[in-house]
Amino acid sequence: MPLSSKFVDELRAIVGSDGLVTSVEGRLVYECDMHTFYKGAPDVVALPGTAAQVQSIVKLCRRDAIPVVPRGSGTGLIGGAMAARGGVMVGLNRMDAIVEIDIANRCATVQPGLINLWLTNAVRERGWFFAPDPSSQMVSSIGGNVATNAGGPHCLKYGITTNHVLGLELVTGTGDLVRLGGAVSDRPGYDLVGTAVGNEGTFGLVTAVTVRLLHAPEAVKTALASFSSMETAAEAVSAIIAAGMLPAALEMLDEVMIGAINAGSGAGYPDKAAAVLLIELDGPAAEVEVEAERAAAICRERGALEVRVARDDAERALLWKGRKEAAGAVGRLAPTYLLQDAVVPRSKLPLMMRQMGEIALRHGILLANVFHAGDGNLHPLICYDDRDPDQLARAKRANEELLVAAIALGGSVTGEHGVGFDKAKNLPLQYAPSDLNFMYRLRGVFDPDRLMNPDKLLPSHPACGESFRPERPALPAGTWV
Amino acid sequence: MAVSTRALVDGFRTIVGASHARAVDGVEPQIVVTPGSTGETATAVALAAAEKLAIVPRGSGSTLDQGFPPARVDVVIDLSRLDRIVEYNPDDLTVTVEAGVTVSSLAATLDRSAQFLPIDPPLAATRTLGGLVATNASGPLRARYGTLRDLLLGVRFVQADGVSTWGGSKVVKSVTGYDVPKLMVGSLGTLGVLTELTLRLHARPEAERTVLIVTADAAAAQQLVACLLDSSLQPNRLEVLDAAALAAVGGAATGVGIAVSFGSVEAAVVAQEAEVIGLARTRGAASVTSVARAFWAAYERLWRRDDGATLLTVGALPARLADTLDAVARAGASLRDSGFTTAGCAVVGSFRVRVGRAPAPTVAGFIERLRAAVGAWGGSVMVQGAPREVRAAVDPWGPVPPDTLAIMRSIKATFDPDRRLNPGRFVAGL
Repeated sequence: MPLSSKFVDELRAIVGSDGLVTSVEGRLVYECDMHTFYKGAPDVVALPGTAAQVQSIVKLCRRDAIPVVPRGSGTGLIGGAMAARGGVMVGLNRMDAIVEIDIANRCATVQPGLINLWLTNAVRERGWFFAPDPSSQMVSSIGGNVATNAGGPHCLKYGITTNHVLGLELVTGTGDLVRLGGAVSDRPGYDLVGTAVGNEGTFGLVTAVTVRLLHAPEAVKTALASFSSMETAAEAVSAIIAAGMLPAALEMLDEVMIGAINAGSGAGYPDKAAAVLLIELDGPAAEVEVEAERAAAICRERGALEVRVARDDAERALLWKGRKEAAGAVGRLAPTYLLQDAVVPRSKLPLMMRQMGEIALRHGILLANVFHAGDGNLHPLICYDDRDPDQLARAKRANEELLVAAIALGGSVTGEHGVGFDKAKNLPLQYAPSDLNFMYRLRGVFDPDRLMNPDKLLPSHPACGESFRPERPALPAGTWV
Repeated sequence: MAVSTRALVDGFRTIVGASHARAVDGVEPQIVVTPGSTGETATAVALAAAEKLAIVPRGSGSTLDQGFPPARVDVVIDLSRLDRIVEYNPDDLTVTVEAGVTVSSLAATLDRSAQFLPIDPPLAATRTLGGLVATNASGPLRARYGTLRDLLLGVRFVQADGVSTWGGSKVVKSVTGYDVPKLMVGSLGTLGVLTELTLRLHARPEAERTVLIVTADAAAAQQLVACLLDSSLQPNRLEVLDAAALAAVGGAATGVGIAVSFGSVEAAVVAQEAEVIGLARTRGAASVTSVARAFWAAYERLWRRDDGATLLTVGALPARLADTLDAVARAGASLRDSGFTTAGCAVVGSFRVRVGRAPAPTVAGFIERLRAAVGAWGGSVMVQGAPREVRAAVDPWGPVPPDTLAIMRSIKATFDPDRRLNPGRFVAGL
């Protein structure tokens, strides 16, 4: 439904002419996020500069029942920042200020459009950092990280975004500007900050975030171990954890991925390796020293083909080089791919690896694996040629089967990317109708008109979640008093 | 619908078995029901819903004196029979327990694999994990491991209408759907009766050492803490103690104490201990001593409450340690003989204050003065436990900003529209 010119004029009055994108080619830029499979151009894009403008936009949209879709840098992987039903997209990139850095209280307050890495850049010289480090951290916004509850390679030790958010300023779906939580962590009442992180814009739009800052560790040590099979590499991962270590990162690459990376940049991973394990330890120097030796010994005991421990920052960067280039290297294997984010319990990794191999074989598709082994968060890249509809169909079937297999092993649909438009349909794999019903009602508290980022996070439904009817227990005979 | 007490008691007995349902008051239908499973809990709650009865969930009963006195109690759901460890996966560092499992029984199981749940509220051995989650209990180890919001991965609870509901996952990393576990942590049974929890565990450190530092005053303690926080030291506890706390744990009777511990491999705790001792001496600390692990047992006993004491949580900030200690001392001048003890986690700036038995108006006045002082810079004062007269004389939770409270009210109204789950006890009498 095209917007009325009256509505667009009112929107222009809020954000100014230079804060509005109305042209067809201008709006085309905003039609998808990094999940380019799903496209939906907004009817208009608004680029507010203040929280008050965001609030006015939401109130205006609510008056006319127009959907509101927030967008940060558009680097999401789930079709979250995509206008599934058109409406107004709110780009928060202009709100990118660091409001306050408060080292003494270990926190900072920033606007949502601030790029993740810029915050660490601002405090690094003083020896501090912001822990969540999604691979997109050079371009993704902190508002987007909060919306999706983003993770990253180092969240094995440090936790995901929610573990680092102390306060939020939020314009709810009702158009109220509320401040939740803050630098003081112990407060009376429900944990609304914890409840709102990861809402993917379905509660409203975040206009400021107070985050925890951490002091940088004294030492960092990175090791690379290669194995002749994924199973032995996965066993080494379990053994490292069982030995009481909590590495900052434990990343794994499979044979297909190693081949693709070696063919490209020449990261120099051993050619015969069927699995490469990257181990990063950080903390007090004496702890890192002892644990690096133990981890290396565990890998050798499990039959590692080779174990390299970086001696300096340059060598450390080289060990990471291949891992960081993984997604790009897949371009050598196939024109495009579907990216999975399922989680399995760490102890089920060897079993899941076998099942993945079987699924790939059954559908005749190529799977490349690069994942966070330490917490069981899988990122199989399901390769296909998008010019071949049959390949696409097979890739999609393999994708669904992978999810079903992960859930059957006690896992989760998404570990760090979020649900968005892409995985909303998969939630019934993990949650019963009662559980989904609870989530629909929770959403209704913040967004009763269901205009905030519609069709994201929760599966679509004919009548506002009523298809997810909870099952009430039957009272046994004799209790009907 | 008028119901006879007799018929109702019989109904509950049919659900949980005769020996697990007893009337505690023959006149009103006030009953303690002790279900043996999530299913029985759900059915019992459904029956209570059908009869519009108010429910108070109970774990070990140690925090029934938290919050406002309940507006109504018809049925107490006692979760002590939900005491099974459902699934322990040492390789995944996760455990799923029923809500009535006690802290000590879980610890005994985890100990065999050299693992632990790093949630250490004082004197909690007999408390239940459901109770810890419902009250968001924490202790000194939060300096390193965070609180239950960082460790509760999944939760099963029975909603007000008897519907059994699951939120979260059983793996250490999941962002599927809304973060329902975070909503349930600290919700004091006002949104559902917790029946099952999946928790993230940690490996027990191989070695541990504690250093007790005594500084001249709060300002000196503040400076030393700032210096420790702005270093790459990785303490697992960092507590600040006022003079009364210091004296009670066997330290000096004057000054302000800092107790810091490190847990890691032996070489790393030795190195960090040496570094912290050096730092403290350079900065002119009155005394610096390595103390035995038993120190923490003595520290925990500061917070015993068997004598009608009141226990408070003061939410403050790391850079406000001295201000907080001063505010407590100023507010405490009127307490006279009953005295007060203050100590807390310097890493997040969260304190406990214990006030000895005193007339309710005196304690209430202390809380109000302290609340005004720390409230000026965003701090909070919450009553963790107190005699009923104290909780009747002062708001045990303190103010919640109106816009935030409106959302909390809306959440409560959505999930418990008839106000039957722990009615009246939580913030603003929700």
